[in-house]
Amino acid sequence: MDSKPANPKPLEDIFDSSVNLEETHFQEGYKDGFNDGLVLGKQEGREVGLKLGFEVGEELGFYRGCVDVWNAANRVDSSCFSSRVQKNIRQMEELIEKYPFLDPENESVQEIMDALRSKFRAISATLSLKLEYDGYPKSTDVKDLEF
Amino acid sequence: MDLLEGNLELKEIQKLEGHTDRVWSVAWNPATGAAGIPAMFASCSGDKTVRIWQQTPSARCSASFECKAVLEETHNRTVRSCAWSPSGKLLATASFDATTAIWEHIGDDFECVSTLEGHENEVKSVSWNASGSLLATCSRDKSVWIWEVQPGNEFECVAVLQGHTQDVKMVKWHPFMDVLFSCSYDNTVKVWAEDGDTDDWHCVQTLGEPNNGHTSTVWALSFNSTGDKMVTCSDDLTLKIWETDSRIPQETDGYMPWRHLSTLTGYHDRTIFSVHWSSEGVIASGAADDAIRLFIENKDGLEELNASFSWAHRTANGMADTLAKQGVFR
Repeated sequence: MDSKPANPKPLEDIFDSSVNLEETHFQEGYKDGFNDGLVLGKQEGREVGLKLGFEVGEELGFYRGCVDVWNAANRVDSSCFSSRVQKNIRQMEELIEKYPFLDPENESVQEIMDALRSKFRAISATLSLKLEYDGYPKSTDVKDLEF
Repeated sequence: MDLLEGNLELKEIQKLEGHTDRVWSVAWNPATGAAGIPAMFASCSGDKTVRIWQQTPSARCSASFECKAVLEETHNRTVRSCAWSPSGKLLATASFDATTAIWEHIGDDFECVSTLEGHENEVKSVSWNASGSLLATCSRDKSVWIWEVQPGNEFECVAVLQGHTQDVKMVKWHPFMDVLFSCSYDNTVKVWAEDGDTDDWHCVQTLGEPNNGHTSTVWALSFNSTGDKMVTCSDDLTLKIWETDSRIPQETDGYMPWRHLSTLTGYHDRTIFSVHWSSEGVIASGAADDAIRLFIENKDGLEELNASFSWAHRTANGMADTLAKQGVFR
């Protein structure tokens, strides 16, 4: 790397290049880091995306399956569920359809997922179903007893 | 009765034994205690049972309660709280086993007619709305559930309300509006209301530090008889009074917000676990300093009655309910 200026210049320039040395090293280091980061970032992003995408997909698929079964039961016997439960099932279906599969950075993804979980628990509780989706973390971890 | 003038004394009139572990809470049966029907209340305990106590008809002034029933073999863990439906026919019991049991009172018997499951862990509190059509439960899982009573003692889950960021300690319905209040380890009181008739419940107000709210766990709340004031108690050693506009909200107007009115400090030096506002306007608070204190409002605000004293129990948790409702003033 040539740190000398192209044309000989007045005295100050000799010191200029030593000052520039720090700056130049900084720039080069930044460039190296940025490029490395790009590569690693893409790799990690892909891995995280795959993992999260799988988890979300699996959970949505679970709810879709439940809704399909319930709808089928409803078709066989339209009185097996109360009107409230039927409404909740419909709402669950709408939420699943509303989920922005192709837009993971859409802000509503967490909101829709929370609403789905909530509806699912409400329906299960009313139908006395001990069905649970095993994938997502519960809202509480194992903690000490409180009063 | 001018409570401010009188010389008040809180006197223990009976000690009831039977439970084999701590008693967490008591609840009076609202359909008893008047019109010749002997007073009845339920107590729930760490011994996993609920006991029903009734005043013997013969003894009048010196109340003599005896145990009429023991509700057992239903909960697998501590029964933390209980609440009677407004008609007195149903008793809901909330347990650390994550379930809420519904008992029907027929004659002298109590039968478990339903079990509400859904909470992920310990259910802390249960409350019926004014008409007895809705039941609310809350839990350490941070959620509040609302159930609707259907014919045949069936219960349908209407809503699962998330919003609190920590253990929810107590839920209580407003005395005549279908508005639900919950208080939590997250230091806030949340108010939940339904959007029209749609089953769409959401949090319409949060009373926290920015609203002059508590700075630590809020353990309990209670309304005055007219429903326009509320008292809350907390681990921050204070009691706070809140008020709202007494106008009944219009259909479209929606919800009337609550605002802080005053804070009572310095009366307890340990966590205040329980508070109750009696129908006669007396506020009773029970705290970990083994004291029960009584307050009444004078024209300048709330003032303590000369009736505070150290109770025999180790912690006066849950006693506020009993005293306020029974009115044991002599």
